Amino acid sequence: MTPDSLFQIANPLVLIGWLALALSPLAPRWSDSVAGLVIPLLLSITYTALVLVHWTSAPGGFGSLTDVMALFTSPGVALAGWVHYLAFDMLVGAWICRTARAEGIPHLFILPCLVPTFLFGPAGFAAFIALRAIFAARASAPKVPA
Amino acid sequence: MTIAFTAPRSTLNLSRMWHDAPAFTGLAMLLTLAVPPLLAAMALDDRLFQGDSVWLKPLKFHLALVIYLITLAFFARFMPPTGRLWRAFVTAVCIAVLGEIVWIGGAASFQTASHFNITNPVMTGLYGLMGAFAVLLTSASLVMGIAIGRNRGSDLPPTLRLSIALGLIATFVLTVIVAGTMSSTLSHFVGTSTRTLPIMGWSRDAGDLRVAHFFATHALHAVPLTGLVATRLTPTQGRIAVFGATLAYSAFTLALFVQALAGHPFL
Repeated sequence: MTPDSLFQIANPLVLIGWLALALSPLAPRWSDSVAGLVIPLLLSITYTALVLVHWTSAPGGFGSLTDVMALFTSPGVALAGWVHYLAFDMLVGAWICRTARAEGIPHLFILPCLVPTFLFGPAGFAAFIALRAIFAARASAPKVPA
Repeated sequence: MTIAFTAPRSTLNLSRMWHDAPAFTGLAMLLTLAVPPLLAAMALDDRLFQGDSVWLKPLKFHLALVIYLITLAFFARFMPPTGRLWRAFVTAVCIAVLGEIVWIGGAASFQTASHFNITNPVMTGLYGLMGAFAVLLTSASLVMGIAIGRNRGSDLPPTLRLSIALGLIATFVLTVIVAGTMSSTLSHFVGTSTRTLPIMGWSRDAGDLRVAHFFATHALHAVPLTGLVATRLTPTQGRIAVFGATLAYSAFTLALFVQALAGHPFL
């Protein structure tokens, strides 16, 4: 299987997981296992295989930005990097959904965090941490007598 | 006779704001938490827009909207009991604020204009929508001004209550006049600006309509401050003083507006 065809399979696969997270209030346990375990695990196995196959023949390294860029000129390693994003971004998305549910943050507020987590992983994580801080601040504010 | 307004211990208490206006308080906190990433982007980004960092404008709008939301959250304690309709209105206002912030930040990241951008159908349409959002978010001050002015149930001295109501209403009326006219032009400058004031960025050699916008929007701070002083007068004198202060402040703002429209700098 070429890196191109694997890429074509991986993208729709993660869409299923993100859809499950977006709809997670309907089936929380099901979406937790699909997006929090099954799909990231499939991607992780794929990642491991890609690294085993392509790492030793790839140029570059980790020592400088130039080395890292050279590393990603290998299609197999670039695909592995992409799969790494897909897998870990979804784990973060699943963690956000679980944490929000446990802390009583309404899902309506979570949806705008899931979109950036899907597209720009760390930005979505930061957005959720901000949202969580706001809900925590509100919850810990001393009650004011009416 | 003097009525001393003694500020309760919880005047600037954040928990009071969470209690009275949870959505405004939470949104103000969100916009504040978004400032560090904006500052980091500013530090990393060499791109300029009209001579300043592309991120300066989003930063200014974050700070301005935080001040506006916190002010509304502070005044919310003087509102009469509110219901579902008020909460729906607050939700709409918060969506309008978020819309403006995303639009201004998004345009900055593309190094393009947000306001006055009619270069393509998408940006033209967005500019129109954001004009409506701006009126919506400013109307929160009008609605709160009217509601607080009518609320005889609070323990506020009448003079102070009147000043808060008039300040909030003046913010809406003056801002819509000034910003509405500004949006019908193609730039906030009248003439060619080559020098600007530090921090505010107002032009020193051309008319700058943002000066009047600034004073228009801050009526909700300036007029209640005069009301706070006027509580030392009798209720009748205080009433006259607050109306007089509102008129004087409005005249000052409109004079700055005319000055800018004529192409003269503020300072």
